[in-house]
Amino acid sequence: MSIATLAVPSKGRLRETALERLAQAGWNVVPPADARSYRATVRGRDDVEVAFLSASEIARELGAGRIDAGITGEDLVREGLADSEDRLDCAARLGFGHADVVVAVPEAWFDVETMADLGEVAAGFRARHGRRLRIATKYWRLTQRHFSQEHGIQLYRIIESLGATEGAPAAGQADIIVDITSTGSTLRANRLKILSDGVILRSEACLFTAKQGVPPQIAAIAARLSANGQKKAAPSR
Amino acid sequence: MGVLRDGDAHHGNYPMNAHRSFAARADIETILAGLGAARIDVPVLQPADPFLDMAGEELRRRIFVTQSETGEALCLRPEFTIPVCMAHLSAQSGPARHGYVGTVFRQRRAGASEFLQAGIEDIGAADTLDADARSVADAATMIGRLGVPEGAVETVLGDQTVFDAVLAALGLPAGWRLALAHAFGSDAALAATLDRLSRPAPMPEMPAAIADPARAGDRAALEAAIAGEMRAASLPEAGGRAATDIAGRLLAKVEAAQHLPDPARLDALRSFLAISAPLAAAPDALAQWQSDAGVDISDAVAALAARTDALAARGRDPQATTYRASFGRRLDYYTGLVFEMRSTGGDVLAGGGRYDRLLPLLGAEAPTPGVGFSVWLDRVARAAGGVS
Repeated sequence: MSIATLAVPSKGRLRETALERLAQAGWNVVPPADARSYRATVRGRDDVEVAFLSASEIARELGAGRIDAGITGEDLVREGLADSEDRLDCAARLGFGHADVVVAVPEAWFDVETMADLGEVAAGFRARHGRRLRIATKYWRLTQRHFSQEHGIQLYRIIESLGATEGAPAAGQADIIVDITSTGSTLRANRLKILSDGVILRSEACLFTAKQGVPPQIAAIAARLSANGQKKAAPSR
Repeated sequence: MGVLRDGDAHHGNYPMNAHRSFAARADIETILAGLGAARIDVPVLQPADPFLDMAGEELRRRIFVTQSETGEALCLRPEFTIPVCMAHLSAQSGPARHGYVGTVFRQRRAGASEFLQAGIEDIGAADTLDADARSVADAATMIGRLGVPEGAVETVLGDQTVFDAVLAALGLPAGWRLALAHAFGSDAALAATLDRLSRPAPMPEMPAAIADPARAGDRAALEAAIAGEMRAASLPEAGGRAATDIAGRLLAKVEAAQHLPDPARLDALRSFLAISAPLAAAPDALAQWQSDAGVDISDAVAALAARTDALAARGRDPQATTYRASFGRRLDYYTGLVFEMRSTGGDVLAGGGRYDRLLPLLGAEAPTPGVGFSVWLDRVARAAGGVS
């Protein structure tokens, strides 16, 4: 049997929780002997290799077909990879790392509750203010898909934001934002509200694989992770 | 404007093409000169911002973007209208008819990404109806001289001015007019918008401090309350949406929630959008609609009739052109005439239209009208019988 490569986030809570879930599903990842190494093994198995990669790199490696499976946030895969729905399977939803990618506008925009409202505001924006509506985000692809393809809103400009996106409206850099939120508290603190149909993606950590040619050991761990993930997820959602 | 006026979905793969030789280009230059257009050249590498500002962020997926050393976003020209208008403005000359031929670049998942276009942009002509007619006639002439028989080309024509006049005459609420104008040009978006507007609007959810003045129609108090919220959120006071913009839309929504939509007016709008007739019969069809609906759009109909006469005077048979009331472009700088010429195989061979809002948006100081068309030479070669 050939060796399958599974990528796991290289740091933070995503890494810790991913390793916990793998252990619960029967794969104990043995930390590399050399602390600087990014490769590890699974105890008692010689058909798996674990690669520690940054969470966003995992999406890219999956897209390039250089790894067989990877655990990462769904938002990073959908944003990082064109046509990810056609190219990758979400083989297991893991029930942690929950976060929503949302469209948020200032609370003071009492007249804007839906994407349709936002479309009207965007359509008249340049005539009133001499420029397009500006959206601060680091999610270019998800924003374009939600605005242009699902809601037919074309007349806006994206302002690239690399951090503290929620502060962009107050800073005058953008009018609204598309950002990730888990509890909504950061948005509330910045007096932003989520539109009623403004949830672009309900993201969580997932095990992604290619559509075809999934090695059997990966398919087996995916099934166990999936069963455990549903149990964990049940109480919270 | 191809970005723009083109039917991007239709083009196939054209590895070889009769118009790619130098001799063929010389022929096209001769045709342009024969139509009285002055030859203009614009750089292949263009600043990306004007295209994204005009056509919206959706365009970014469809153009080739790169960066200068200083970080300026540049792109391979995706069309000619915007660069030609910018060149016209920087030359600071008077009215002119600019003719061009060259490659445009579009990013697509599969197939070719370079296309040959030729066209004429007529900028600053005061007699707009005659300039419209000339643009349609020139596009037809060019396609004909390139070997596509007249009987193999279908011309469809629409008029944004008529649609605007219909919205105004029906007395629809301002928010509705904006939503409908934004959807104009896409049958699916129009149907969805009409559907949404025909359902009762829900009362917006508002905290008491906002709801009280909003329901009482006390605009001053409402604006003050909204301004207070904006200050509390440290939102900038200038440069974006102000309390008065928000109050205006909110009051309109509160009013809409208190009144049932008027089905008769939406039905009248639907029956207008269904009008499709030979151009020669369009003024009568519109006059009939106006009397059925009990509204007055006679100025817009008269302009359409005058343009139809101008077209006939330029040798186009108005019986052979189709007027479709719902035909438009979803770009807010198109203002009047829009037209398209299709082959019997369904390829868009040429697209054109009037864009009186574009030059002011690009920085023209005085109102500067413009109308133009682009011919897709690769598709024309195919329609004319392929490689020769």
